[in-house]
Amino acid sequence: MASAATVLFNGIAYGVLLFIMSVGLSVTMGMMNFVNLAQASLSMLGGYVVIAFTQSYGVPFLLSLPIAFVLVGLFTIVIERLVFRYFYGTDDLTQVLLTIGLVFMSIAVATYFWGPGYRGVDVPAWLTGQTDVFGLTLERYRIFLVIVGGLLSIVLIFGLERTRFGAMVRACVDNSRVANGCGLNTDLIFAITFAVGGGLAGLGGALSANLLGIDPNFPLRYLVYVLIIVSVGGMGTIGGTLIAGLALGIADVGGKYYFPEIGSFVIYAITALVMLWSPRGLLGRHQ
Amino acid sequence: MKPVVYAATAALVLTASGAFAQDTIKVGVLVSYSGMGALGGQQTDAAIKLFQQRYGDAPGGHKIEFVRRDTGGPNPEVAKRLVQEVVTRDKAQILIGPDFTPNTLAAAPIVTEAKVPMMVIGAATSGIIGEKSPYFTRTFFAIPQLCKPLAGYAIKNNWKKLHVMVADFAPGHDCERYFNAEFAAQGGTVTGNLRIPLSNPEFSSYMQRIKDAKPDGVFIFMPLGELSLGSLRAVNDSGLKAAGLKIMGTGDITDETYIDAIGDAATGVITTGIYSTQHKSAMNEAFVKDYVALNGKSPRIGWSAITTWDAMRLVYDGLEAQKGAKFDPDKFMAFTRGRQFESPRGPITIDKDNGDIVQNVYIRRADRVDGLTQNVEIDTIPNYGFK
Repeated sequence: MASAATVLFNGIAYGVLLFIMSVGLSVTMGMMNFVNLAQASLSMLGGYVVIAFTQSYGVPFLLSLPIAFVLVGLFTIVIERLVFRYFYGTDDLTQVLLTIGLVFMSIAVATYFWGPGYRGVDVPAWLTGQTDVFGLTLERYRIFLVIVGGLLSIVLIFGLERTRFGAMVRACVDNSRVANGCGLNTDLIFAITFAVGGGLAGLGGALSANLLGIDPNFPLRYLVYVLIIVSVGGMGTIGGTLIAGLALGIADVGGKYYFPEIGSFVIYAITALVMLWSPRGLLGRHQ
Repeated sequence: MKPVVYAATAALVLTASGAFAQDTIKVGVLVSYSGMGALGGQQTDAAIKLFQQRYGDAPGGHKIEFVRRDTGGPNPEVAKRLVQEVVTRDKAQILIGPDFTPNTLAAAPIVTEAKVPMMVIGAATSGIIGEKSPYFTRTFFAIPQLCKPLAGYAIKNNWKKLHVMVADFAPGHDCERYFNAEFAAQGGTVTGNLRIPLSNPEFSSYMQRIKDAKPDGVFIFMPLGELSLGSLRAVNDSGLKAAGLKIMGTGDITDETYIDAIGDAATGVITTGIYSTQHKSAMNEAFVKDYVALNGKSPRIGWSAITTWDAMRLVYDGLEAQKGAKFDPDKFMAFTRGRQFESPRGPITIDKDNGDIVQNVYIRRADRVDGLTQNVEIDTIPNYGFK
């Protein structure tokens, strides 16, 4: 019983990790119809920012997380102004080719600046080790992840799906000419949304760095998981991404625990089934 | 992704060899300069650079020219094309690499037909050296060399119940088989086998299984890279390590190139290995000192550096032996067979029948030495071979 509960908790924590890494892409892809595979590169950048600030400048880990969010968000604006904005409204293939090209460039650039090796993150002592909660021995970092993930979901669901700003973004996406005509500054709104999406990716990388390690091939390795979560959850829904992350996290951890021989296939089997049943994902927005 | 050709940059002509006509021997270097094995390629180049700085660039009057290609990881199709290109178009007469077992197997028919001696510096599967091509010589290791010795070490320390965790690919299955058989033969009990998928960011379910089985320790075999990092961190984060679980495995899991990223989770881990910069010998101390002086402290020296170094030793000695004569690949192979020499890692013998390596296997413990985590040798299994 205790094992089952621990496995469930670990599944939830893994699900939250998947959610945090994917939600940025869900925002840009769903709200703006822009397929940005380079999102995974922004996650890597977030990881390197945390490493740089905690190790070189002695900034505390918790403070380095918002720094990663802000810096990666600002960096995203630069890229958006220089590159992405010329590709709004182009077809998916063009965007995929463009952004996967950026992924390869990011790998080369990261290798140039930080070398091809793995870098670890030093988290404070109170985030390492285990704590007893209701008779279960749980990892502290995972508890921390679940709390951060919970807060993040609340902020995002209310901020992007229930506010005027979210409505403005959707208006710009659905018909940017009319939105422009109604007095919305579409350029600005797109840039801000992009920055938020990129910042979230950076935060995801920053939070996962402790568990996964950061190296230049990080984007390619985790891109698949990010795409799976976004497709299963449905693009553009924070709630859908959260549900998909949790479902796949729990299924993956549970599957590997109870059926280790086939456990690694569970996540792919569920993805295939969901895609067959509902190609737009669990809570995908209709176009 | 156009392959880049680097001409050999060392332009120093040895005065000693000026007396007779010099010919040029092209040596193909096929390693990973990009992708997950990029650190290996970097070390290969660094080791070659140091070797040439020490021993010049014209052994036996044969001027060496390198033809470098990037295999980019285990890609047999790519490796086959590159080997073909280097052998037929660039007329390479000796190869160093390609790395990884699938690439090595892809190269076998080509080097056999073209009679090109090939140094296997990065493929550990048993049953490829001597069997797939008579032109293979290995300066790396064979999987059983590193997987079997820990069984005896565990028994000696009274760790009788072990959980075995390997990566779910052919070398992992190989290692699992050798370790399980050896451990059972010595009276140990395997409490369970776990096969970890090659793409696996999440280990907590496996850790829970180990917790349930209550073994004395865990034996881990993972390829270089994120699985090694992830598995060691997971054993630590799950509290198993703090609870006294013994952790051992092959040296890949505490490879110097990312042991710093593993952090405290690596300390105390027992591994088998072919080389550590901590090896106590005058030759090794000089090697480490010169390597760091030439290439810098970071990235740290790993196994690719030492396997390349010893491959270069064989190439240079083999060419020296053919001083003033036209290069003959069969004579070269005959020369390497049964050859014994001292390496920074310890004494090495190339098996006289199949060309595989016989070497000291070291049991190491990861400890903090001068502020860095190092694999410190605590026991030696001398001249350990495998057939």
